[in-house]
Amino acid sequence: MTIQRPVSDGLKRLSVMQGNVEISRATDVMMTTVLGSCVACCMFDPVMRVGGMNHFLLSEPGPAEGSVKVDEHYGVYLMEVLINGMLSQGVRKQSIKAHLYGGANLHANMQKIGSANAQFAQDFLARENIQLFHMDLGGTTARRVDFIPAQGRVRCRVLKEQVEVARPVLQRPATDRGDVELF
Amino acid sequence: MIKVFTVDDSASMRALLLHALTGHGFAVDQAEHGLAALEWLKDNEPDVIITDINMPKLDGFGLIEKLRADERHRDRPILVLTTESSDEKKARARAAGATGWIVKPFDAEKLASAVRRVSH
Repeated sequence: MTIQRPVSDGLKRLSVMQGNVEISRATDVMMTTVLGSCVACCMFDPVMRVGGMNHFLLSEPGPAEGSVKVDEHYGVYLMEVLINGMLSQGVRKQSIKAHLYGGANLHANMQKIGSANAQFAQDFLARENIQLFHMDLGGTTARRVDFIPAQGRVRCRVLKEQVEVARPVLQRPATDRGDVELF
Repeated sequence: MIKVFTVDDSASMRALLLHALTGHGFAVDQAEHGLAALEWLKDNEPDVIITDINMPKLDGFGLIEKLRADERHRDRPILVLTTESSDEKKARARAAGATGWIVKPFDAEKLASAVRRVSH
């Protein structure tokens, strides 16, 4: 669900929730999200002045103690939706500059789900030859990310105080995944 | 052994498909866009083709149209595997001659089942 609300600086805020992807070239839009163990990838093309953001959590605790299972299918899907959205705006894949944020391990006694998300995101960009322009990943605190897509400007603030980060959805619905329709 | 040919510009997606399909006992070859696929298909005859839609150089729609215009590939099963969910794109793929439509993220079991069904 995306919430759009104007504020006093004239920028419309688009909240990018977990599992969502937003693309925009509007000069009056700021995308914003709060991240704990989730990762957000911001992509920007300085030539076309188009940007986009996704927000994902790919990992869940594995059956073995201390292990973390990464759902690569879902991650590749969300990254592909972001890239295709950029391409549909006339962007060339080679021009994309990416930023990665989040991937914190908020609780010391929990498995390192944030680290697994962060590693997936970095590996994905490397495999796809997409330039990683900046990243702020890991640590033990939540972050707020504000991204102006038409300018490629990102502000990432570490949230020092205890904040309520939306509980990640660890299990995604599997029923509609990969449905096949034969013509 | 059923021979599957996949076409996708994402290296990550190609790796997932290779792992999923070989894990179900299929022989797999791959190309990264429609033009590379056409080149490979000049000399090869897979049992099933699985193609993405959004690709550089030649997209999935263009690839299907060119294959259907070629007598060698006129009846070859072609499954579209895509992030696209619009009915308009699905109708376009169907009109171009696609055999089926699968929405990403794919489920390996469902994909393997679809490959077996259309290859017979």
